[in-house]
Amino acid sequence: MLKLENLNCGYGSVEAVHDVSFEVPAASVFALLGPNGAGKTSTIMAIMGHVDIHGGRIVIEGEDITRRRAIDRVGLGISLVPEGRQLFSDLTVDENLTAGGYARPISRDATKRDRVFGLFPRLYERRSQMAASLSGGEQQMLAIGRALMAEPRLLLVDELSLGLMPKMVDLCLDALLKLKREGMTIVLVEQNTARALDVADQVCVLSSGVQVYRGTAAEAKAAGSMFATFLGIDAAV
Amino acid sequence: MYYFDLAVTGISFGCMYAMMSVGLTLVYGLLRILHVAHAAVFALGAYVTVLVANATGSIALGFLAAVIVTPLFGMAIYRLLYEPLLKYRPDVPMIASVGLLVLMQDAFRIVFGEQGITFQRNAFAFKTFNFAGVTVSALQIAMVVTALVVFTGLHLFTTRTRIGIGWRATVSKPQIAASFGIDPIKVRYLNFAVGSVLAAIAGGLVAEMNNLVDPGIGFVVSYKALAIIVLGGLGSVRGTLIASLVLGLVEAYGTIFIGSWLDRDAIAFLALIVLLMIRPQGFTGARAA
Ligand SMILES: Nc1ncnc2c1ncn2[C@@H]1O[C@H](COP(=O)(O)OP(=O)(O)O)[C@@H](O)[C@H]1O
Ligand SMILES: [Mg+2]
Repeated sequence: MLKLENLNCGYGSVEAVHDVSFEVPAASVFALLGPNGAGKTSTIMAIMGHVDIHGGRIVIEGEDITRRRAIDRVGLGISLVPEGRQLFSDLTVDENLTAGGYARPISRDATKRDRVFGLFPRLYERRSQMAASLSGGEQQMLAIGRALMAEPRLLLVDELSLGLMPKMVDLCLDALLKLKREGMTIVLVEQNTARALDVADQVCVLSSGVQVYRGTAAEAKAAGSMFATFLGIDAAV
Repeated sequence: MYYFDLAVTGISFGCMYAMMSVGLTLVYGLLRILHVAHAAVFALGAYVTVLVANATGSIALGFLAAVIVTPLFGMAIYRLLYEPLLKYRPDVPMIASVGLLVLMQDAFRIVFGEQGITFQRNAFAFKTFNFAGVTVSALQIAMVVTALVVFTGLHLFTTRTRIGIGWRATVSKPQIAASFGIDPIKVRYLNFAVGSVLAAIAGGLVAEMNNLVDPGIGFVVSYKALAIIVLGGLGSVRGTLIASLVLGLVEAYGTIFIGSWLDRDAIAFLALIVLLMIRPQGFTGARAA
């Protein structure tokens, strides 16, 4: 569904990601792991069109999108749950969802909104509150909801669990698994390796912008402590 | 009743200040540029109003023309002056903006003359009404009603329409908004167009009030509007509206208390200095720079 071929990208002349290649099959969860500064966010944002591509290709369902403008990519079915949520903080919950569906026909807005509220009933109760006034978990729900309003086939989720209570992490991961069962392709960046391996089908580990591990989640789990050394962190796998 | 008259004066001036200043706030909020040339946009609005009104005999047509021409000028300023300079520090576009204002003032002087243009027929503006002893002019009513209509419209547009919500989303997080398909460049044009329309209306109203449009018409605006947006807490539309009304009222009442030794236009800066000493973040404190 998504294919990166020898992707090199960065900021101006600074290169953050070197020669990364992977393929994500449709309706699967692909975990992108690695320590801070490894290039996970850069990879995600390159797929979204916000990072300078120095070489390689990004292909979605056979279509090369490497040179597509950022604002056109949402129309190709890519949507983003950015690191740190990045909600439109002085907009209400409802308005954030409206903005999320900007690229799609307004006639489908109400149906999608109901779906989001079905997935996260808490948001419905808070629908006319400012996004900034929500709790961390609610903000993450809204970030996911906003991304779903764009009708993605590929959902890029950066640091889902960051700063969330364990219960909220469960709730958000459950939502992602439900979406996967409905056919969504998901790229998940996570610091919480154990939780990521629980939900992922395949794993890729980046370190200093280089791919150091590729495999299925089951293999990674079996590799145990050796896998943790790839991560370069004290991960309890 | 004198105090009520002053209140009427203060509120109507406040409404006018609000319409001339919000454009500056919008540009600052989106691009972090001090759009000093907004005063030239305002002046152009005043010139178009008086020229078309005199040519057609209809003040309404004058305003209509101003509201059509001025946003084109505002958008052109963005495209030709600011866009190429956005990659530099924010004081670079600001200095370019000051340059454009000076250039436009001279252009108005050369094209339309030093002494300015008066309305051939402007009787309506000075018609006065008496409400239980309070004197109100038609122009004052027009200022308040226009401001109410314009700001209610702006509020509805930015909260009830998808384009308006997308506009606010872009002001909040431009890159993320772009990820959802909201074109940041289109938002900038919209931003300049809306701010310029408001300035054009204010320009036309000030032209009527003075019954004169001269090359210096934008000058007072340029510094007073800057004071207002700082008072309002740079980038906050609500703060700008509050600061405008407060300034209008302070000026109106100030003229009787301190008007004998201080120029009316200096009051804005006295208020600015006092407020910045007490509340450096402005009235609302939203997004203070
Ligand atoms: N906006 C930016 N400008 C310049 N360098 C950046 C920027 N964002 C990230 N980097 C650099 O790119 C590298 C990868 O960062 P990032 O993709 O954020 O890693 P991760 O998400 O894995 O923590 C880091 O060395 C970081 O300093
Ligand atoms: Mg990151």
